[in-house]
Amino acid sequence: MDTLLQNFWTPTSTDLFWFSPELALVGTIVMLLVVPIIMGKSARTSGRIALFGTVATIVLTLRVAGVVQTQGISGLAPPAAAGMLILDNLAIYFKIVLMLFMAGIIGLWFIGSAEKERNGPEFFVIFAGSALGMVLMAGTLNLLMMAIAIEMASLPSYAIVGFKKRNRAAAEASLKYVVFGGISAAIMLYGISLLYGIFGTLNFAHIAPRAAVMLHEGQNTLILGFALICTLGGILFKIAAVPFHFWCPDVFEGAKIEVTAWLSVSSKAAAIVLLLRLVDAFSVGAVSEGLSAAIFNNLALGLAIIAAITCTWGNFAAYRQRNIKRLLAYSSIAHAGYMLMACSIFMHPGLLGAGYSIGQSPMGAVLVYIMLYAIMNLGVFAVAAMVIWQTGSEDIDAFNGLGRRSAWLAVPMLFCLVSLVGLPPFAGFIGKYWLLLALGEAGTAYASVQSLGTIYWTLIVIAGTNTLISLFFYFRIIKAMFLTDDGQPAFTPSITGATMANLCGIALLVMGVFYIQQPRDMAEKYATHLFQPAAAMTHTMTTTQDVYNEKPNAADPDFRLTTIDHEQEGAQ
Amino acid sequence: MRPRSVRHQPASNDGWVDVVQETSLLTILIFLPALGALGILFAPREMARVIALLTCGVTFVLSLWLIPPFLGAGDPSAAMDIFGSAYGDKLHFLQRIPWIQGERFSIEYFVGLDGLNMPLVVLTTFVTLLACVASWNFHTWKINKSSKAYFILFLMLETGMVGVFVSLDFFLFYIFWEMMLLPMYFLIGVWGGPRKEYAAIKFFLFTLAGSVLMLVALVAMFFYSADAVAERPDLALSYWTGEVLTTGTFDIIELSTNQAIQTKFNDGGTMFLGLRFATTMFMFLFVGFAVKLPSFPVHTWLPDAHVEAPTPVSMILAGVLLKMGGYGFLRLCYPIFPAGGYWWSAFLAALGLVSIIYGALCAMAQTDFKRLVAYSSISHMGYVLLGISVMSQTGFQGAMFQMIAHGISSPMCFFLVGVVYERAHHREINRFGGLWLTMPKYGTMATIGFFASLGLPGLCGFIGEIWVLLGVFEARDRFEWAVPVAIMAAAAVILTAGYVLWLIQRVYLGKEKPEHAGFPEATGREMSILVPLAVLCILFGILPKHLLFDYVNGTLNQIVGTMQDVLAMY
Repeated sequence: MDTLLQNFWTPTSTDLFWFSPELALVGTIVMLLVVPIIMGKSARTSGRIALFGTVATIVLTLRVAGVVQTQGISGLAPPAAAGMLILDNLAIYFKIVLMLFMAGIIGLWFIGSAEKERNGPEFFVIFAGSALGMVLMAGTLNLLMMAIAIEMASLPSYAIVGFKKRNRAAAEASLKYVVFGGISAAIMLYGISLLYGIFGTLNFAHIAPRAAVMLHEGQNTLILGFALICTLGGILFKIAAVPFHFWCPDVFEGAKIEVTAWLSVSSKAAAIVLLLRLVDAFSVGAVSEGLSAAIFNNLALGLAIIAAITCTWGNFAAYRQRNIKRLLAYSSIAHAGYMLMACSIFMHPGLLGAGYSIGQSPMGAVLVYIMLYAIMNLGVFAVAAMVIWQTGSEDIDAFNGLGRRSAWLAVPMLFCLVSLVGLPPFAGFIGKYWLLLALGEAGTAYASVQSLGTIYWTLIVIAGTNTLISLFFYFRIIKAMFLTDDGQPAFTPSITGATMANLCGIALLVMGVFYIQQPRDMAEKYATHLFQPAAAMTHTMTTTQDVYNEKPNAADPDFRLTTIDHEQEGAQ
Repeated sequence: MRPRSVRHQPASNDGWVDVVQETSLLTILIFLPALGALGILFAPREMARVIALLTCGVTFVLSLWLIPPFLGAGDPSAAMDIFGSAYGDKLHFLQRIPWIQGERFSIEYFVGLDGLNMPLVVLTTFVTLLACVASWNFHTWKINKSSKAYFILFLMLETGMVGVFVSLDFFLFYIFWEMMLLPMYFLIGVWGGPRKEYAAIKFFLFTLAGSVLMLVALVAMFFYSADAVAERPDLALSYWTGEVLTTGTFDIIELSTNQAIQTKFNDGGTMFLGLRFATTMFMFLFVGFAVKLPSFPVHTWLPDAHVEAPTPVSMILAGVLLKMGGYGFLRLCYPIFPAGGYWWSAFLAALGLVSIIYGALCAMAQTDFKRLVAYSSISHMGYVLLGISVMSQTGFQGAMFQMIAHGISSPMCFFLVGVVYERAHHREINRFGGLWLTMPKYGTMATIGFFASLGLPGLCGFIGEIWVLLGVFEARDRFEWAVPVAIMAAAAVILTAGYVLWLIQRVYLGKEKPEHAGFPEATGREMSILVPLAVLCILFGILPKHLLFDYVNGTLNQIVGTMQDVLAMY
């Protein structure tokens, strides 16, 4: 009995404090379910509870933020076991951005849907559930947890897309989402099982350095590559990278606009952060084995190609769209492509030699971009929602003459769209500029590594060219707003909505001119002091051989896996 | 606003002891229009044009303060003193403020003035002021919606233009460069003619296509300069402090004078994506500027933009925006990548020549008055490209003069078109005739304007063209194609004379037509725009040295000298 209890693990209060933001979200979900039973069903009450939940999550995240000093914490697991969840600056940054964005979306819901909504509690339970999944996605290096988190984010998303259950388009979108999502989840699980088979552990922090060694020694590279591709497939699905993007336009078109706005940023951002984490683990893992991060150059090349295609495809496909939601869907694909470009940089401080102490340049750039992208999209979707609710049409023609009909919406829309194109003096340009700078940094640093340097410089040219392509379709909306006028009646938008849109527009202008440096510094701060898998492992391993010969720990859930590992070795 | 003197520390015995004046005059010039725009935003609608005019006027008067430091440069001994021993050694009105600081880079708000941009800044504020006067009758326009928005965009455009000309940090330059796009897009797209939407997006697209490549060059140049100073710290002495540079830089003056950077950038072994760095980067920058110039074959946006744009916008477009192309060549392309310029020289000269001839032939074929003037602009700017492409002192001087001369004559021509369009409501050349008899004062002005554009000796257009041709001849030792090209370009003057004379004959000469009889003579407002321009056309024609060459030659010669030094190494 005692031995059985030994294997039971109860988190300490410290553990629970670290993960209080997630618990706050869970609490919100419980409240959303319980309160209607007591007080009766009211959509507005549910909305307020959800809003309160996001605020509480932000507050708790800020309180927890003080804990992260240098390395980040990997926890919520028995002592000495591999942590399931990670609390570090990256996770904190993402939580804050996501929760602020969620508050914006709830605000949007209050303006447009609160009156009509009859299933408020259900809607927000699903909504908060997907947010919880995304928060978990951004805070794990454990493959099992990763799979669970992605599913946790996906399943509510499927439901929330089809929430308008009498709407055929919504049902179709939801079904499409489920089918694509299910398949890519299956592929990802297959990849994870292969990785588990190869390495005998689900902890990516252990996998990455050993993968680097395997690549270095040239063993099993084919199966390793296949496993990694499958695993990344699941993440790329959430990012909606080409060729996993097919769900995106249909889902965006079918869903309610506030849901579309939510998915356009959150699911992509969460997956991008997860990818960044994996890339970082790879780089650090390689370095901890005394190898260059360039050992993963094939993976980098693959990501770079996917990024380039995603970006270009999104921009070209958007050109043909007349439905504003579909157009913005392709726009979001294109922007995911820009962010993926920087994700393809496998780089770590210290591996580049003197003169290139770059800090976390690519990651910082992506984090800034995520934040700016969230602001731009919130502004664009707020205005689009207001126009759609006013006119009942999702066509670009609904924007005709908006400059006259409602200047308070048209001007922030202009700011956000120009920012999405990436033109100064708006912050979108700055975001893109940091990405280009990161790519240039990588291109210079890897100039001597096979083709890597060329890849990054090519990406810069492709990113630049894509700015030009994207000009077409964003300016079709601008043209409709200011240059075309077919005499549609003027209207006064809701004050909250106009305020939200204008705040986004002004923020973009201010961050594009006066506060260029500060967001970047902040993101750099959050991009450093990550949970470093290799550093965390140094006390248990010095060489690869030690990992293989590591004494199995009775309390280690990886115990059996380590045994399998030895058996495999013996078999060889 | 008393200039504060800053003495740089001497790094060695022979250099860098220099006095530069640090003032915020240029900053005021840049942001005064933006401030005016802000004022219009909160002012009643009737006040919009008054505020705009006041802002433009004050900006112009302030810009005259930029001239005095450059006075007295005509004296050869003084020229040395003014321009010092290296290119742009004596930059005036400098102001540098750290703007974006990173661990390994710093982007500065860095503005300054030398002989290259001083005349262009004054031209900008002058043309903008006249264009503002030309917008005075906004309420009578066919599309007279929202005068506040019009004047706000108008002033934002001025901010962008002045900013481009005075920026000495490439990043800052790029920001201002792109900042001009949006106001121009709306000025054409909202207040333009029947095909305004097409013209506006075409303008935007062409310019952005060029500036996208410029952005790539911006990033690449930064990282290659970082490599350069890391590889050759012995050569990487900063132009400003004399200390060894340790990071890459966006500073245009540093990029064009630092020996380590010059060596790395122009070396044949420096590669970018498998191509030679100097030639590739030169081309990336060149495309961006060639679109603005505009040069054949990226000129097609210009006739559309001009035809659709309202008259004041056309004046600014022709008078100022086109100069940014030429300015970009002289400020960025050639000083930083002389080897690239040398490699492409035959190609560029050919482009210039084709622009001259093609533009003139197209102008001859036009029946639309404004389109004709637009094509004549392409032809005239071809001289700028041709003069620059031979990389000689005279060529550069000619190109610079041609830019200023065109900046005076073409706004005048466009305004002349605007005056008659307002009365006739059409621009069909063949339906006009005898306008000189109907409107004698206007006719006189028109003759001066178009003859200046033709390049009649004694008027401003002549000096630029002849200087360019002389410059091309001068380069015959270096380029075997120089003489035939010069001869062809000289012959093309006949084409220019052809279309201008034919135009004058069809529009202004001949019998007075009854349908035009009721046209009122040019008003006082219109004359107040035409007379200053006409006076300048004449003055620049007879006093080219005192009005322009004295100010610009020092800087231009230094640029050419530095270029030749670099070329001599390769």
